[in-house]
Amino acid sequence: MAPPSGLHQSAIPSDFETPFPPLVRSSTVPAGLKSHRADPSHLAPEDAYTPYSPPRRSGTFDSTGTASGTESRAGRARHKDASRSRSRRRKRFQKLLWVKQSYPDNYTDQATFLENLQRNPRVRPYDFWPLVADSTVIVQHVCSVIIFVVCFVGIFQERVSPVSVVGWSSFATFLGWLLWDWWVTNEAPGGWEDDDVRARMIRDGRAYREYRPPRRQDSSGLGSPMLNASTVSISSVSNFPSAASSTTNLLQDHSVPLQRPLHPPGTNTSGGLLAPTQVHSRSASSINTIATQASGAASPTTTAGTAANLIAAGTTAFGGPGTTGFSPATRNRLSTIKSAVLIYFTLLGLSPILKSLTRSTSSDSIWAMSFWLLAINVFFFDYSGSSWSGGLGGAASGGGGGGGPGAHGKQMPVASMSTNAALMASTVLASRLPSTGQVFSLTLFSIEVFGLFPVFRQYARHRSWRYHVVLTVLLVLGAGAGVGMILGDERGWPWKKGLLGMVVGCLIAALAMGGCSWWLIGLQKYKNEIYGPWDPARPIIISRRHWDDD
Amino acid sequence: MAPTYNIAMVSDFFFPQPGGVESHIYQLSSKLRDRGHKVIIITHAYKGRTGVRYLTNGLKVYHVPFFVLYRSASFPTVFSFFPIFRNIVLRERIDIVHGHASLSSLCHEAILHARTMGLRTVYTDHSLFGFADAASIFANKLLKFSLSDVDHVICVSHTCKENTVLRASLDPLMVSAIPNAVVAENFKPLDYTEPSPRSFAPHHPPPARPLGPHDMITIVVISRLFYNKGTDLLTAAIPRILANHPHTRFIIAGDGPKAIDLEQMIEQNVLQDRVEMLGPIRHEEVRDVMVRGHIYLHPSLTEAFGTVIVEAASCGLYVVCTRVGGIPEVLPSHMTVFAKPEEDDLVTATGKAIASMRANKVRTELFHQQVKSMYSWTNVAMRTERVYNGISGAISEAEFYGYDAANGAGSWSATRGRSGVQSFALIDRLKRYYGCGIWAGKLFCLCVIVDYLIFLALELWFPREKIDVCPDWPRKERKVDGKDAG
Repeated sequence: MAPPSGLHQSAIPSDFETPFPPLVRSSTVPAGLKSHRADPSHLAPEDAYTPYSPPRRSGTFDSTGTASGTESRAGRARHKDASRSRSRRRKRFQKLLWVKQSYPDNYTDQATFLENLQRNPRVRPYDFWPLVADSTVIVQHVCSVIIFVVCFVGIFQERVSPVSVVGWSSFATFLGWLLWDWWVTNEAPGGWEDDDVRARMIRDGRAYREYRPPRRQDSSGLGSPMLNASTVSISSVSNFPSAASSTTNLLQDHSVPLQRPLHPPGTNTSGGLLAPTQVHSRSASSINTIATQASGAASPTTTAGTAANLIAAGTTAFGGPGTTGFSPATRNRLSTIKSAVLIYFTLLGLSPILKSLTRSTSSDSIWAMSFWLLAINVFFFDYSGSSWSGGLGGAASGGGGGGGPGAHGKQMPVASMSTNAALMASTVLASRLPSTGQVFSLTLFSIEVFGLFPVFRQYARHRSWRYHVVLTVLLVLGAGAGVGMILGDERGWPWKKGLLGMVVGCLIAALAMGGCSWWLIGLQKYKNEIYGPWDPARPIIISRRHWDDD
Repeated sequence: MAPTYNIAMVSDFFFPQPGGVESHIYQLSSKLRDRGHKVIIITHAYKGRTGVRYLTNGLKVYHVPFFVLYRSASFPTVFSFFPIFRNIVLRERIDIVHGHASLSSLCHEAILHARTMGLRTVYTDHSLFGFADAASIFANKLLKFSLSDVDHVICVSHTCKENTVLRASLDPLMVSAIPNAVVAENFKPLDYTEPSPRSFAPHHPPPARPLGPHDMITIVVISRLFYNKGTDLLTAAIPRILANHPHTRFIIAGDGPKAIDLEQMIEQNVLQDRVEMLGPIRHEEVRDVMVRGHIYLHPSLTEAFGTVIVEAASCGLYVVCTRVGGIPEVLPSHMTVFAKPEEDDLVTATGKAIASMRANKVRTELFHQQVKSMYSWTNVAMRTERVYNGISGAISEAEFYGYDAANGAGSWSATRGRSGVQSFALIDRLKRYYGCGIWAGKLFCLCVIVDYLIFLALELWFPREKIDVCPDWPRKERKVDGKDAG
């Protein structure tokens, strides 16, 4: 442990001011060329200045090296022979600063230089089919955007009746909500299909609540789950009033992070239920935006308030499962319906204002603007869906108001920007339509497509893979058919064009999914992550171990 | 007679701001002056500190007016520094421009302009950077830009050297590892007596009072309380260490955003009587805090050198530190206990340190003398001087880089192009910048060309003859040749 210091006194040179040993030719050239580093993944010094030298295949140098380094290596090899006898007499180079080295400062030791470098240590190779499966999420979203555009074009060209569009979509939304409600009520008592997920969630919730307690009694980090389960149920009951309170203050975008600390256990333990909260509040705030845009004359607060109210009430309804009692669930449903009716009439009242919103702007600008807005929507959409599928616990803790790793917290504004952009696009598009009814239909439709549908999609994906695939196929077919019908001229029989569109759409989707996945896998060979001792260490702290893992 | 140089140290970071880089520049400059060189320091203007100042030892400091962007790093305008920089360089007849700290844009600009003006440049890197996040990638690209055409690079540890070589794609032979140092006189243990210079017997200071089994052991932590200083580890470890070891206590000095966590931990575990939080302290007070303890705990997550652990060892403290960055290179094993950056391991390592202190197995009273012989600024200045000699041709290239430059095309042209005396030609410089990347290379070339044009314009508008040469502060005579290493 602590050897007598006399030993070390000898290691520390007393003749401190002595000059360096006379520098000889090749004194800085690495002497030990019989490399100890058989690992080809390590960089050698010459890799630094031969920019594209491939990782070395063998650990030994020979003068028949790769083309880029041949001459220099040959040069070194000569020096090696010349200086070997001299370098033998020296002490071995040590990578220490306190030792008086018998080497100059810019000496680069072949054996120890970059010995701790790791290349791509954490790279997980992608598999083709899982990648394709993951890309369905993007395809779904792009397809729903396409369907929205198609509906707009249809309404704009007066080929589709706006009432039928909004009627069918509202019917579908209602069905979706029923389905959701049914799933959720089924799920509530028995809980999650996956005990593992549940356990992780509980652990997360617990980690969040107990900030950093003394960890003597259960330093393993896994307490008794039963005890925590009881806390879960208690706190999930407490979820209800907090969600209800959230309806009141959803007016600002900030309100979500603000209110969250009020009920962290609830948000945590109700797990995935948090995600609808986010999504809805997102759309709520974006409706708020629209309202403020629209309201030159009208009072924005009331309209936005009611819009937010509906969405938040939807949250409450969707958040129902946590509230195990019977009456709260029913109450939730009732309040959802109430809010739906409220927003319906609000939009109806708002439509005339929206209609004349951009009258002074030329149509070209509107098309360009809505294109960019929809592009923003597609690019910034929160595809991770982590709240439902893989990282249920992660999302729960991430939603817990900064309780989790910062990445989740950072995603939020981007995702809300996506929804905001889409709703703004729909608003400006709607303002091109000639009649109030059309404007109303398109706006309502856009809320359904961009606000509620993504939540449903995510939940369906979480719920069952089969639903997800069916939904994807339906969306692709629908988008293809829609585009086909729109592109086809009005004279012909639209269904033929639609069928053609479906085929082409399927082809394009398959090609894009497969091609992009293949491309991404192909790009992996350029991956070059470098890790070494200079990277900040990731501290392992028991009380928060599972935070640092994800 | 060894050559002497006129050296300009350039960095955004200098006094009155406290910090490691600042004191490094000051100490190095002052020791270089002792060795007969002329040193000036160029930094940006601080509040209440503008114009030209003289420090102790005839050190001249230019405070250039510059817009400060963030944490006293100046705003990166690639060219705006050039006119005043040229003026200073010509006034002071500078031969070598030595930049410090990778986050200082003043330093990078100075290196670029100095090369345009045909001066030798050296750069010292004080910090470690990763390769993963976007900020690091950007910083690394900029570093590559400025280091594409630098004569030599100095790093404070071998780990730092590896990092810099990778970040800027340098030839390892043009990177020297020269450590920081401490002023050992400022970090003496309590009741330390100087060994009498006349006694030839090895000096044995009286052994410290042996620690009894019930004596209080004090663990000192002095660091800014930031995430990357490992304050989270500290917060997690302190309650466990104190629970495992009665008769121990902590003294924590420093401030930062994580201080609140520590305070919360203290309150939760009711440790007010065993953990003392001193808050922020000045650098002069560090020694006085250190000598109150027996063990120094350093839980940092990344560290290029870790001057503070050397200071602690110099004060006669047994050091417990995490094995990260350049820290393992800094102190010999009998002064330190290393831990992995994990809560468990830190607790275990501290436990080991406490046990061996209790067993009186650690001769901490010898540490000061040993540290004094390991690290001194005089030595650092000597080694830096060798770098100056190497790049200005006082040492032959073959001797400096250790290979035969006359070997023809077969030898390392990359190195020779960089270090060679003949490499100031614009086209050679452009070649070096062009290799920085597909787009970046062209952009960098454009910058260099613009810089050169500005240089030509300045030569026309403000001709060299019109610039006054300022009289030098009387130079010190080089010390006796016996003690001289040059």
